[in-house]
Amino acid sequence: MITSGQLNRRDLFEWGTQGLGATALLAMLRDDGLVRSAAAATDPAGWKTREPVARRAIHICLVGGMSHIDSFDYKPELKKFHGKSLTYDKQPDIFFGQVGLLRQNDWEFKPRGESGLMVSELFPRIAELADELCVLKSMVSNSANHTPALFVQNSGFESNGFPAMGSWLSYGLGSETNELPSYVVLPDGRGGPNGGATNWSNGFLPAQYQGVVFRGGDQPVRDLFPATALGASTDAATRQFINSINRQQLERAGYDPALAARIRSYELAARMQLSIPRVSDVSGETEQTQQAYGITEEQTADMGRRCLLGRRLLERGVRFVQLYSGGPIAGSPRASWDAHESVKDNHGIEAGRIDKPVAALLADLKQRGMLQDTLVLFTTEFGRTPFSQSGANNVGPGRDHNRYGFSCWLAGAGIKGGTAIGATDDVGWKATERPIPWHDFHATLLHQFGIDHERLTHYHNGIQRRLTNVHGDIVEECLA
Amino acid sequence: MQLRLTPLLWSLLALISVTVGTIPRLAAADPDFERVIAPLLAARCLECHTGSQAKGSLDLSTLAGTVKGGESGAAILSGKPDDSVLWKRVRDDEMPPKHPLADNEKLTIREWIAGGAQWSGGDIDRLRYTSVARAGYDWWSLQPVKDVSPPEFGDSAWSRNSIDAFIAKRLNESDLSPALAADPRTLIRRLCFDLTGLPPTPEVVAAFVADPTDEAYLKIVDSLLASPRYGERWARHWLDVVRFGESSGFERNDPRMNFWHFRDWVINALNADMPYDEFVRMQLIGDLLKPGPEGAASTGFLVAGVHNTVVGRSERMKKLARQDEFEEVIGAVGQTFLGLTVHCARCHDHKFDPIRQTEYYQLIASIAGMNYGERVERNPQDSQALERLNKEIAQVSKSLSEIDSAARAEILAARKQGTATPPAPPKPFAQWNFDGDLQDRVGTLHGRLVGTAKIEDGSLVVDGSSYVETAVVPVEMKEKTLEAWVQLDSLDQGGGAAISLETPNGGIFDAIVFAEREKNRWMAGSNGFARTAPFQGPDELEAAKRPVHVAIVYQADGTIIGYRDGQPYGVSIRTSGLQTYAAKQSRIVFGLRHSPAGGNKFLRGRIHKASLYNTALTPDAIAASAGTASDFVSEEEISKWLTPEKLKARQDVKAQIAALRTRHQQTESAANQKIYTMNPGTPTPIRFLTRGDIEMEGDLVSPGAVAAVPGVSADFGLTPDASDADRRRKLADWITSPRNPLFARVIVNRLWQYHFGNGFVTTASDFGFNGGQPSHPQLLDWLVGQFKAADFRLKPIHRLIVTSASYRQASTINTAAATRDADNRLLWRKSPRRLEAEAVRDATLSVAGKLNLSAGGPGFQDVSLVANNGTTYYAPIDVDGDSFFRRTIYRFSPRGGRSALLDTFDCPDPATAAPRRAVTTTPLQALSLLNNSFVLRMSRYFADRIAEESGDDQSKQIDRAWQLALARSPNEFERTASEQLVSEHGLAALCRGLFNVNEFVLVE
Repeated sequence: MITSGQLNRRDLFEWGTQGLGATALLAMLRDDGLVRSAAAATDPAGWKTREPVARRAIHICLVGGMSHIDSFDYKPELKKFHGKSLTYDKQPDIFFGQVGLLRQNDWEFKPRGESGLMVSELFPRIAELADELCVLKSMVSNSANHTPALFVQNSGFESNGFPAMGSWLSYGLGSETNELPSYVVLPDGRGGPNGGATNWSNGFLPAQYQGVVFRGGDQPVRDLFPATALGASTDAATRQFINSINRQQLERAGYDPALAARIRSYELAARMQLSIPRVSDVSGETEQTQQAYGITEEQTADMGRRCLLGRRLLERGVRFVQLYSGGPIAGSPRASWDAHESVKDNHGIEAGRIDKPVAALLADLKQRGMLQDTLVLFTTEFGRTPFSQSGANNVGPGRDHNRYGFSCWLAGAGIKGGTAIGATDDVGWKATERPIPWHDFHATLLHQFGIDHERLTHYHNGIQRRLTNVHGDIVEECLA
Repeated sequence: MQLRLTPLLWSLLALISVTVGTIPRLAAADPDFERVIAPLLAARCLECHTGSQAKGSLDLSTLAGTVKGGESGAAILSGKPDDSVLWKRVRDDEMPPKHPLADNEKLTIREWIAGGAQWSGGDIDRLRYTSVARAGYDWWSLQPVKDVSPPEFGDSAWSRNSIDAFIAKRLNESDLSPALAADPRTLIRRLCFDLTGLPPTPEVVAAFVADPTDEAYLKIVDSLLASPRYGERWARHWLDVVRFGESSGFERNDPRMNFWHFRDWVINALNADMPYDEFVRMQLIGDLLKPGPEGAASTGFLVAGVHNTVVGRSERMKKLARQDEFEEVIGAVGQTFLGLTVHCARCHDHKFDPIRQTEYYQLIASIAGMNYGERVERNPQDSQALERLNKEIAQVSKSLSEIDSAARAEILAARKQGTATPPAPPKPFAQWNFDGDLQDRVGTLHGRLVGTAKIEDGSLVVDGSSYVETAVVPVEMKEKTLEAWVQLDSLDQGGGAAISLETPNGGIFDAIVFAEREKNRWMAGSNGFARTAPFQGPDELEAAKRPVHVAIVYQADGTIIGYRDGQPYGVSIRTSGLQTYAAKQSRIVFGLRHSPAGGNKFLRGRIHKASLYNTALTPDAIAASAGTASDFVSEEEISKWLTPEKLKARQDVKAQIAALRTRHQQTESAANQKIYTMNPGTPTPIRFLTRGDIEMEGDLVSPGAVAAVPGVSADFGLTPDASDADRRRKLADWITSPRNPLFARVIVNRLWQYHFGNGFVTTASDFGFNGGQPSHPQLLDWLVGQFKAADFRLKPIHRLIVTSASYRQASTINTAAATRDADNRLLWRKSPRRLEAEAVRDATLSVAGKLNLSAGGPGFQDVSLVANNGTTYYAPIDVDGDSFFRRTIYRFSPRGGRSALLDTFDCPDPATAAPRRAVTTTPLQALSLLNNSFVLRMSRYFADRIAEESGDDQSKQIDRAWQLALARSPNEFERTASEQLVSEHGLAALCRGLFNVNEFVLVE
């Protein structure tokens, strides 16, 4: 019973572990940003609509623009039209403005699995898991420029300053673990994507919802360990000192949730120092697993390691893992999917880096029984044109950006596998059937997590902001 | 029969009538139309059923519309509810869709119809009434500021000024009481961080602890307010509000290397306690009030936000981008100064506040002349010095021209007699005659065709989609002359250039442009019109029939002179300075205004001949080149003609002129300040856009404001073609009017928020419906009164606040109060506050003895700038050294250029405004404070400092460390722990530890 104005530490303990006090303390800690997971269970904000199908997600984000007509959108007509010119009513909003003749796909398509889903030879390993995939063939975007197109994919807005979908999910659902960040980003080993950290920004949401970059090496997360060597015993003694001073103050002050939260943040920091290197070290995985992910081969080592790390992070309660395939857009040779010069050469290399690891990830998740509540997102900011990027009378080897129609796929949690949603026209130029803007994609993502995209809001500068702005229709067709 | 009101209806009515006055009683048969029916219809029906776009063609805002009805027939049959469509729809929960009316609301409607559907008071203005869903004209913040007297209340022992009477009375009403005063050490630490963002020195603390009197306290308050550190602290708050960021954001994220002028201006204005109305006016119209560097710096406010510098090529994309710019800027204007989210009315009437969509367009019309970019400005005294130099140059030049004109007359006379040779045209730096190729006949600037341009009959033919570009100019280009003989396909074109000198990406250029801004006239084109003003020459009438000779001369002093057919064309243009082009950083393009190609930049016509000179040709030389005068005499000829004495005199004069010119140039480059700021221009015509769609243009809109704001007219009395200056002046007048109730309330609330953690209104930039009700409306208005009485100066209000007992309360938790008012909105204690990111860093520097207090100027960079394909990337770099130890407000702060330490302490990315910062406590924050290289480095410096100040005595060292870091000595327990740590691991370990204890980052 609380009778006096001041609480001693025992009171706090009792107050904090029993009944109403426990809820209140939890709420205070939550407000202070420490505990979020419990909130998900009670849903005080009321943005949940149904039992979640997905508990976590892994996002493979292809930077540069993957050619849908060479991968997941089979266009037999293209062969016929090869070398002909595309008629269009408006000047296409592409990037370089050079509209060459139509070019057939560079990789052959085949029906795959029991479903017969068409996947090209660009991704022979992923194709083996076609029955798990739901291909969205009618994606459309607002922008045909890389950076704004990446932004809109990640946050629903073309400009900086808006929270990424991983941040929204963390904000809405909290973390399942206190030892790891809830949103982890694994950039391509060749460098960060256009726009860098803006792609995983928390925008106007509190700082703990920002994507945390995991790198390789001794310092997988910035400031995880002292920037300069201090000596382990010095470090430990200093931290013990900090803890003892803070605890002594808590004892004197009695009840002080902010101070309690700070003490806890240092405890969690210590746990992160143990758990992050542990999760980052994949050497404990069996040789068979490492081989399956392609870690032992040069071409697939980077993505393989990250895919495996992704699985390990998900296993340990991370909510949203984002893997980038492709670094900065500019430069030569290209380090992304931006195949202006030659789709054959560029996509051949890029797919070679990720096909095996991504397939291994899917198979591994499935084998571990995680796929049923893990959502796998495989996206690109836009597709590529069915006509080549060349002079008007040529069939060049490269393709330009295409925001009017492109393909992404989903797999796992509650997704109808072995299916394709929507369609583009005969040559893959524009979405014709069930166009899917990113807002719809985002609404569907949240829906799988049991969240109503219209209710998951955060007040900012006069507006209850949403991931889906004022749009968003769930793509019901892809739900199992 | 008396209608029974359920609690639900009561609460609805209570909400509706929050500020209307008494709660209306419902008479059964005759519900009061104006008080009950109109608000109900407004709140629940008119969102859809009003105006020309009314759903189902049913307009319920007018009697006629209601009687006439919509697609389903008359809405109301007077006296017959059961036959009225309105009643049936409402009864069956069909309307309003999704959220049907409550039973009592339904009954009210029924009774009203049954009672004859009395309609009084004319049409219903949907925005008039505050309801459960929105704010109306009667919303609290839109009411005039009340003349309030402090309540007769208070505990005289506790209370220290009138603020306390308001606070104590309100607490008392909730059966709460304030906390006792904080102890002197806590209070002084709080005060120092609050006013300056820095910790107190142990000496200041000790002095106050020894003499904790009011006089001593007041003295400290005044000294802190007078300290330059005050402006640095409070400018940070302002920069948060106005979304100050030193890069453009969006795709390119170009750095704004010269935007620090705005930051410095804010700091200086706050330190000088500039009256707030002037402070705001300067940010809106500083360029008009104080032309020169100060005005340019202050109006940086308008362009402080993100700016998309990669706009699509189509006209549609350009228009859309321009509209986006307006939304960004007017959003900042509305929220910053008035707490109005006017930008929410771009596509429709505001969903929550009484702001019409047309008013949004009126507001953007008032800023429609703004552009983004750098400007070169100089102080008036520098301008005067330059003016004097110009006069001297003119004087000396006169004696030169006397010598020359005498010689010229003699030479011309001699020519007539056949004793002198004919004139030679001036020698160009590069010349093209397009005789079968694109070769430069003089130098190395050979051309290359792009697109379908071609050479034909000795001229270059450009067709409106093609152009020629040349090799780069190998030398630096300063003063220069461009000339071309050009024939146009037709006079009905605009924006193309005959010849243009540009940087290879076209970012900077000077060009001979036809009819870009004025039909049929030649113009000196330049990037962003930076060096462009009308020549006011005559309309071109002949260039479609025959080639005309057009030349533009760019003089060293920035003057630009146009010529047509060898004769001066209109008037010369004075610019702020000559644009120079570094060696190998420029080239010529023909037929294109500048790169990248596209839009209206192409010319259609023939270029017969063109030249580039690296000198500013004289009128005579131009005439000679144009072939229109035969009396051109070259300088060479004059020199030969003169006697040795005369020649010597001439050379002396020339040397004098050259010396003066050099001085002029030096003075100018020292005086010129490049400032990133708002650039006024011809306002973009603003049309009403239905649903905000740029393809659904309506009528032209005149500049104006929001009618819901009382006391000041929203009609600016301007026409749609008013000048930029008139528009912004009127806007500034409207915003800063002492009768505008929002203006002072918003800033007073901000001050309160930064002192107490919460404002009276918790959404500091939103005083609309979403902002909710203020916690202490009376106190807010009383403070506004004090603020006005102090001529809108901020420091007297700070003083009033920090000397109140409310501010001086202890932070002790009172659990009984905490359960009733967990957020402490009633101020039963002073809420403890975590230091902001900047204060954490500044305090660390200060405690370590490393803080470099040099103020102003370009910021320090702890990020690297890497430009890649037009986009700039900012990566954190580890920095050490005095120049990096300045206060954090002087950190170069590009968008996306984050710092690990600041980041985890909730320093927002400047991509959007942050009227109030989040406060989080996370493991990553703990890791950063423990392990970040900055903290480790400062721990070592801190240890060095203590060793130096306290000698070898460990006990003294420990005491000093605690005093510096936490403004107190350690207690027994803490001393023992410290001793143990220092003995075993050294002083630096203790220093690192102290930076990490809760008390260091917390202000009680």
